[in-house]
Amino acid sequence: MMKAPVGGAKHQLLPSCSILAVLAALALPTQAEAAGTRAGSTISNTASASFDTGGGTTTVDSNRVDLLVDELLDVTVDSSNPADVPTTPGATAQVLTFSVTNNGNGVEAFGLTTIANAGGDDYDPVVTQIYIDNGDGVFDASTDTLYTAGANDPSLDPDQSVTVFVLATTPGTAIDGNRGIVSLVAAAKTGTGDPGDSFAGQGEGGGDAVVGSTGADGQDAGAFVVSAATVTLVKSAVVTNSLNTADPIPGATITYTIVATVAGSGSVSGLAITDNIPADTSYVPGSITLGGSGLSDAVDGDAGDYNGTRINVSLGTVAGGQTRTVTFRTTID
Amino acid sequence: MRTALLFLLAALMPAPALAANQVALDNSVFVERVTTDAAGKQRVLLEEPKVVVPGDRLVFVLAYRNAGAQAADKFVVTNPMPAAVRFADAGDARALVSVDGGKQWGLLADLAVPMSDGTRRAAQPADVTHIRWAFQNPIPVGGTGKLMFRGVVK
Repeated sequence: MMKAPVGGAKHQLLPSCSILAVLAALALPTQAEAAGTRAGSTISNTASASFDTGGGTTTVDSNRVDLLVDELLDVTVDSSNPADVPTTPGATAQVLTFSVTNNGNGVEAFGLTTIANAGGDDYDPVVTQIYIDNGDGVFDASTDTLYTAGANDPSLDPDQSVTVFVLATTPGTAIDGNRGIVSLVAAAKTGTGDPGDSFAGQGEGGGDAVVGSTGADGQDAGAFVVSAATVTLVKSAVVTNSLNTADPIPGATITYTIVATVAGSGSVSGLAITDNIPADTSYVPGSITLGGSGLSDAVDGDAGDYNGTRINVSLGTVAGGQTRTVTFRTTID
Repeated sequence: MRTALLFLLAALMPAPALAANQVALDNSVFVERVTTDAAGKQRVLLEEPKVVVPGDRLVFVLAYRNAGAQAADKFVVTNPMPAAVRFADAGDARALVSVDGGKQWGLLADLAVPMSDGTRRAAQPADVTHIRWAFQNPIPVGGTGKLMFRGVVK
């Protein structure tokens, strides 16, 4: 190492081995703290020495060294949805929630973009809008701010977070169980790059802006899962008559059974079963049953009614995997 | 590596323009950067602190020189830690530290910090408020030396 050029200046070859040894021993990874010392602040160091040369104690100060703290550009994005968000085919304004945090040490604005076609899923949600939360953590298009890139990029203090909502449409072609992933990307407006890259003079407080360990951009993925349900209706009829045969003779009774089967991971709402009374038959008053329990013919508190031409049973919301059985009777005129 | 050596040598060179007739103290700061080469070997470089961000390791070097005509006895060098720097370690075992703003001094391992519940815990490097070197022997006329410590930008 003594071959290193020294610019012609006279220098002393100090017993520097101890310092070098310590340097080598401390080749530890750098640990960064959250945010840390604010960009633009000054670190000043001054030492003092006291000594006695025979005339009492004398104190001298060293020169002062001032270091300007530069701006570190760091940001993280975290999905706030604890699990996949249920959606249905064709649904609009489906919301994924993210949190964007400025991990740097200066005020920084962040540009927001989304990635919906990165693969690893079954379909691509169609991102329609990004909203900036008003602080309550709940999406409300009337109180949250519609994000427009370059116009209202969120500006965050060190360690400050903001909630961001990504709205997407689920394609009508998606089917039950499909997953669709959307990633939110936040990038420092000052610039991004490899850790250590710097932007001279662009840091808060007049120093440089330096790309931190996150590359000054961050992203995280949220996902929708299509939760759809399908309904299958199966109708059957059984004829009984006074002859104890199955012949559909006048006066015979026909018992109709309609089984509604709901399949899929979702549920159907507003499900109702309606059936017209066939010609040349007469409805048997009070014969509607649901799950084996009788229902009245009037439009009242129970789910069934008969209006003179058809029976109707309102089943409401039925989850996938369940069935509902409706029966009614007619007689052959 | 050559650049690093240059900085290192610069750090070790005696401070220029020391005042006459007394001991002079020159203070300089470097940023310690750890790089990993293609072979996975780590190298430590000392750079001029052109860019300083939180998490950076700083090396403070204090160069003293007795430029006076008499030996300097009871030589003590004291450096308060800058508020934005967390003490990491000193370059030699003789260094004394204070964790209470300079009232009490000792080796870090011997110091304790009072807790709010009345108990005391062992002092950590982050507790250090001052660092001090107290020399046993006088600094002879013309005598020089270097002291150093490290800190991390908070």
